Amino acid sequence: MNFWLELLIKVGLALAIMLPVALVVIFGELKISAHMQSRVGPYFAGGRWGWAQPLADGLKFMQKEDLVPADADDRVYKLAPYIVLMGTLALYVVIPIGPDAVARDLDLGVFYVLAVSSLSTLGVLMAGWSSANKYSLIGGLRAAAQLIAYELPLVLAVIAVAVQAGSLSLNDIVNAQASFHLFGVESILGRDVTWISSLISPFMILQIVGLVIFLVASLAELSRIPFDMPIAESELTMGYLTEYSGLRFTMFFLGEYAGLVSMAAIAATLFMGGYSFPGVSEDVLNFLGPVILLSKVMFIAFVFIWLRWTFPRLREDQLQTIAWKWLIPAGLINIVATAIFKVAF
Amino acid sequence: MTDSPSEAEVMESGEGTEGVSASDVSALAEELGALVGATAWSDNFGVIRLEVERDNWVAAAAKLRGRGLELFSWLSAIDWSREVEVGEQVESPDDLDERFEVLCRLSSVKNADAVHLVAVVPKDDAQLPSLVGEFAGAEWHEREAAEMFGIDFPGNPAVDKHLYLPDAFEGNPLLKSFPLLSREVKPWPGTVDVEDMPTTENVEAAQDASGETDGGDE
Amino acid sequence: MTQIDPRSAMHLADAAVSVELETPDMTLNIGPQHPSTHGVLRLVAQVDGERVMSVDPVIGYMHRGYEKLAEVRTYAQTIALVNRIDWVSGFANEVPFVAAIEKLMDIEVPPRAQYIRLILTEMARISTHLVFASSYPLELGASTPLMHAMREREHVLELLESVTGGRFHPNFNRVGGIKPAAGGGSSMKKVSMDLPAGFLAATDEAMTRVLDIVDDVDRLATGNELIQARTVGVGVLPAAKALEYGVTGPNLRASGVKYDLRKVESILPYDDFEFEIPIGNNGDCFDRYVVRLEEIRQSASIIRQAIAKIPSGPLRAKVPRVLKVPKGEVYVRAENPKGEMGYYIVSEGGRIPYRVKIRSASFSNLSMLPWILAGQLVPDLVAILGSLDFVLGDVDR
Repeated sequence: MNFWLELLIKVGLALAIMLPVALVVIFGELKISAHMQSRVGPYFAGGRWGWAQPLADGLKFMQKEDLVPADADDRVYKLAPYIVLMGTLALYVVIPIGPDAVARDLDLGVFYVLAVSSLSTLGVLMAGWSSANKYSLIGGLRAAAQLIAYELPLVLAVIAVAVQAGSLSLNDIVNAQASFHLFGVESILGRDVTWISSLISPFMILQIVGLVIFLVASLAELSRIPFDMPIAESELTMGYLTEYSGLRFTMFFLGEYAGLVSMAAIAATLFMGGYSFPGVSEDVLNFLGPVILLSKVMFIAFVFIWLRWTFPRLREDQLQTIAWKWLIPAGLINIVATAIFKVAF
Repeated sequence: MTDSPSEAEVMESGEGTEGVSASDVSALAEELGALVGATAWSDNFGVIRLEVERDNWVAAAAKLRGRGLELFSWLSAIDWSREVEVGEQVESPDDLDERFEVLCRLSSVKNADAVHLVAVVPKDDAQLPSLVGEFAGAEWHEREAAEMFGIDFPGNPAVDKHLYLPDAFEGNPLLKSFPLLSREVKPWPGTVDVEDMPTTENVEAAQDASGETDGGDE
Repeated sequence: MTQIDPRSAMHLADAAVSVELETPDMTLNIGPQHPSTHGVLRLVAQVDGERVMSVDPVIGYMHRGYEKLAEVRTYAQTIALVNRIDWVSGFANEVPFVAAIEKLMDIEVPPRAQYIRLILTEMARISTHLVFASSYPLELGASTPLMHAMREREHVLELLESVTGGRFHPNFNRVGGIKPAAGGGSSMKKVSMDLPAGFLAATDEAMTRVLDIVDDVDRLATGNELIQARTVGVGVLPAAKALEYGVTGPNLRASGVKYDLRKVESILPYDDFEFEIPIGNNGDCFDRYVVRLEEIRQSASIIRQAIAKIPSGPLRAKVPRVLKVPKGEVYVRAENPKGEMGYYIVSEGGRIPYRVKIRSASFSNLSMLPWILAGQLVPDLVAILGSLDFVLGDVDR
């Protein structure tokens, strides 16, 4: 009983912290894109800066009629948004936001992350299949093809990190980055140089190739521009989302941004030192950790938004080309290089 | 594609001319008329009009294409239900029969040369060979003429399919005999302006007229 | 016309493994309400997965029967119709129509009116091409150029409105010149409406902004690798095919044919100005895009030259109160932003035309869709449709 209660509180806390973050990212996207396009963006809802716009949008969606197409596969159609949302929210459980602040510190955290992050694509496929709409069907199939192509580089990028850190636990990976010293050198000519190496300790320096692969692949997993073919509104009129309305559409919408936050959080954990920060002691980290992690998440989310409003979308075959001809070979080479590096030093 | 002397002329005329003066137009009309074996040609307002027999329609278009008039500009028809053709002196009342004129405009992309190829199609046998084999772009134009005038274009693969009109639509709207229903129901209010009704407003308007009928502004 | 019923696959799953999977083509109905058909075009496409096997365009949802309507209206009343053909560049549609009447009536238009027509036509061209420059990247997924280019287009439209009173449907041309002053007050003599004060200076300044925004779009989109990957070599239109289908305008010039009616046979005094006709080499989507961007620059240069040279004088020739057009048939064409816009007017004499044939550019440009879209991928279909830059009002008339 004790165990379940504790788990429930932890999960609740993780959601309570991370879900508002998704709302903040939605608001950030509205505002940042507006400024990139010489617009003002939301302005009225909630007063200053229109900060309540995401909430207002959500409220508006809730009032909309929940339409189910006559030919739709009813149960699958209704279940799909829950699966998408669940797949992204379940990721939050293992992301450490402080040395002890993690809902569930799994030994196989990385494995869990990779497995669960694929779940939401199942929901997308269900949505596309059950909508009884050809655009939705094409969108769902595109999403499936995209997942297969980009799951692989994602895994390869993470394997290199796991090799580097020597663990599959996310907490261990964060610790490995915090205590990592470049080339194992702690002093030069008798002077302590750990502060130099601690500055460059996050894996984003050593695993720069992995980081790029991971970010590109997670963009594709999230179906964001330039990889948004599954929803491509000018081709497929929002693809698998075409038939959804009201609350179910809100779930997809929230799921998209919750997925963005969780992917950004994983990237921050794996490559940017997670909740740790050079020079901040472990005692403070339990309080400061969430802030540090969130600022890293926000930075990555900003990069995603930036790309979204800069690039056009790729074509389906070009997407496959990038995955199979560039990212996967690069990921493999990166693993080999990391292994050699690991053995040599 | 056609006889070689005209090919050579294409090259010559294709290089220099930019904008053709009036005298050139009649010379060109003469030359092209002879080339396609036109039964009549004219150059009204700079429009070269070559009238050809129906059997000669596709061959004439092919010859003009070979002559350098490669751009298929448009194809349409005129429903002559009234008595007199434009610019034509009426010799006897016998040739005042109703007929279609199908026009096809071909133009050069090297200079301002352009030709209206005309075929007269009698209404009781409204058909004309399709140009689709020569100019693929003729398909839509012929379909438009077919549904608007009821002219058949044998050789056009989709001539029976409506282009603009709903599938169930019956009738050929651009025929002069096809009434514009809204006009039947309510006379066009703009005619008031045209008719110059003798009201006080109109008299005033006529006084400070700068010379135009501005009924179409709304 | 076989269609996939999603449920049929349930039975497939139960079937024996040795059953050969049938993969019939799927009929995909694109439009009439679809974001990338720019209006009410409908494409009935047979798709095999992502590949479009054949396309059957269905048009006519916007058909307003202008050719019939013109037969029951006076010439002056028809001007209001023709600027609704290609509503994105309404002004450019009016000019060849009034020019055709002027040719039939043998009216010499005063040079100042000609210049004003020319300036406004080129502004209509700029605004049309700015719509293209903003919407084409959007079609490919890049939404940022839209906002920037649309903003500058708004300035151009405001200037057009300041002269004509309408942003889209100016209805400003009159036979023999341009529109008389609205209202006219109590003065007995109606005077033609001259350009508003400061218009020329404001236009000159607006051209600077337009050129800036074209450079911006260039930087934002043209050089972008992804835009190039999506457009270079996609939807290639060879010159011979283009001529056969009657494709004109930027679409033809992108295929390497240097054919611009402004140079060939112009009803407006284009000979007074120096400008280039941009042409492409390959006739692909990228060329069509670049040619249009370059045309904006050339139009801006023409407008600047026209502003410097604009003569003073009357704005309207002497025209009888009631237009009686003599017998005759005339065809007058002009370089519309979309291509060759022409009016074939048959007059039997009198106030009402006997027949008006409207040759619109987009109709011929679209007639090649079944040819150019066959065998393309669905995303390329969108890229090609966008690059042809059509307006459904111009297709359906």
